[in-house]
Amino acid sequence: MKTTLLKPIVLVCFFILVLSCVKDTDFDQAEDITLTPVVELDLIYFDLDASEFFDQVNNVPRSTVTDTTEIRFLDDSEIRESLRRADFYFKFTNSIPRSFQVDFMFLSEQNDTTYTTQAFVNEGSSANVVITEFEEQIEGEDILQLTMADKVVVSVTIPSSNANLSGNLNLQSKTTYYLEIRDRQ
Amino acid sequence: MKQLLTFILAFCLTAAIGQNKQLLYGFEEIPQSLLANPGVVVPQKKHFGIPFLSQLHINGGASGVTVYDIFGETGEDINSKIRRKIFEMENTDFFTTTQQLEILNFGWRAKNEFYFSGGVYQEFDFITYFPRDLAILAWEGNQQYLDYGFDLGEVSATADLLTVYHFGANKKLGKKLTAGLRLKVYSSMLSARSTNNSGTFTTTIAENSLNIYEHRIDNADITLNTTGIASLDGMQGSEIPGELIGRAFFGGNFGLGIDLGATYDVTDNIQASASIVDLGAIFHSKDAETYQARGSYTLNGIQLIFPPLDEGEPTFPYYDDLEDEIEREIPIDTINSGYTQLRPVKMNASVKYSFGRITGGSGECDCTNMGAGVSRAQAVGVQFYSIMRPKGPQMAGTLFYYRRLWEFLSAKATYTADSFSFSNVGLAVAADIGKFNFYIAADNLLKYGNLAKAKSVSLQLGFNIKIDEE
Repeated sequence: MKTTLLKPIVLVCFFILVLSCVKDTDFDQAEDITLTPVVELDLIYFDLDASEFFDQVNNVPRSTVTDTTEIRFLDDSEIRESLRRADFYFKFTNSIPRSFQVDFMFLSEQNDTTYTTQAFVNEGSSANVVITEFEEQIEGEDILQLTMADKVVVSVTIPSSNANLSGNLNLQSKTTYYLEIRDRQ
Repeated sequence: MKQLLTFILAFCLTAAIGQNKQLLYGFEEIPQSLLANPGVVVPQKKHFGIPFLSQLHINGGASGVTVYDIFGETGEDINSKIRRKIFEMENTDFFTTTQQLEILNFGWRAKNEFYFSGGVYQEFDFITYFPRDLAILAWEGNQQYLDYGFDLGEVSATADLLTVYHFGANKKLGKKLTAGLRLKVYSSMLSARSTNNSGTFTTTIAENSLNIYEHRIDNADITLNTTGIASLDGMQGSEIPGELIGRAFFGGNFGLGIDLGATYDVTDNIQASASIVDLGAIFHSKDAETYQARGSYTLNGIQLIFPPLDEGEPTFPYYDDLEDEIEREIPIDTINSGYTQLRPVKMNASVKYSFGRITGGSGECDCTNMGAGVSRAQAVGVQFYSIMRPKGPQMAGTLFYYRRLWEFLSAKATYTADSFSFSNVGLAVAADIGKFNFYIAADNLLKYGNLAKAKSVSLQLGFNIKIDEE
């Protein structure tokens, strides 16, 4: 009996212990797994009529118009850890015979300014619509500042204005987010 | 998140088409062959599985990738290897793992010549197809894929944890035919499935669009059915095992199913057999939660209106409005109504040619039993297997060689071609030592030299007490 028992037991050991193994692998490589997606995403857009720059009620120019929106995804902890670079692209289409200064002020939840940038829009006319493109590449220390923000204040400033001013200032914008997603302990 | 990813990768890659028991099928010396075909020829008089040890079955595999492909020490950057694999694999590639543990198994031949058998086993079954488009989107982003519609419908996965109670009868009907039937009651502990999804995500540069891009979700229709999971949410981690054990014993969602099978002796050395296993359904009603997202939406970014505001007056809540709009257009509904889930039905068929010396009995031709098959020491044959999966059946073909080496020891070697590979060699050994029966079956032996290079691995082993016919 003893010898007959031995054979299957030896076979089992042969199966499980001798034959099976996992070789030439290095699971520590998992620590190096890094996802590097490049994401194209629309940002804000607006279409401002020239009449917005004149207060019809009080009959005075309104030199700066301002609006604010939250962009809460930006200070999300995952984004804060993973965002390596952000390229802003702004495309202004201007048919108002004035140049503009457009300020983008990024604010934190506590309304502290974390990052600012500024674009100058060339003067256009109803006959000649002028396109001004503005790009800003943000990386390094600046990206840390940018990702502290959860809202952006957009201020459009006109040097002079009157009741008869006509045309439109249109903005289209997008951001290219360069992410680097990996395990950070 | 990364640890989870690593775990899933390592687990799925190391852990055959799910549930193909090509080694066990038709291997009469192993009482558990009754579970692969209730109509198998049963030689013994009685059997009892050693509780919890009568069958352990684990198998896992990935159709398009091996552990070595990703974690091999090739000197190449792991990220380039992953990227290459993402693009190489197709959306019909899958990761699967199945585990079964038999708690009880017994059988006896009654006076009326029926062989009755029954038992209880626990099963975990998981399959996910490779959502290639979403993997590309996560890995690469959308910048290089403008105007490309990422397919959201590639998400297709099911996971089930259940207990199966079964009882069957097997009888030799005439000289040539043996047939069997098994009834099953399923008690589902946990179940989750997301199949038949559809929809696309596209980023396009549209002329005359409101903004630079249009990000479009078109005709999304994504459903996730779950049962047994919602109620675990509020529980302490330590309470969950007790709760699940309760469900294992008739506390979960019920289902019913049958197995059918037959073996027919065409001549005294050619035998054909076929079986259908798990033809049934689970009726999910308790603790059911279905999440459903349907709709289409185009995102253009955030439009600023520049409303004239007084000092300190807040502007419009653009971001909240945007979130509300998305939720309105593609609402995620939670539905508590039950659903019926078909079990993954399996089919087996085989033809076997036996030769060599006659085993069992007197060793001579039984002249009173002409035309019926006799047991011989060697056999060769072919087997076919298929299992119904969310994206259609998966099939496997097997060539096998069986040999009774000694009176107490038989072995079966198989060569299987399936979705994983065309070079799967398996070996099963069954030993009868006195009344003690032991068996072990393993797949993909050619890869055991380095399991990391195997796309699938399957192992079954168990201990029984077998009392043979006098």
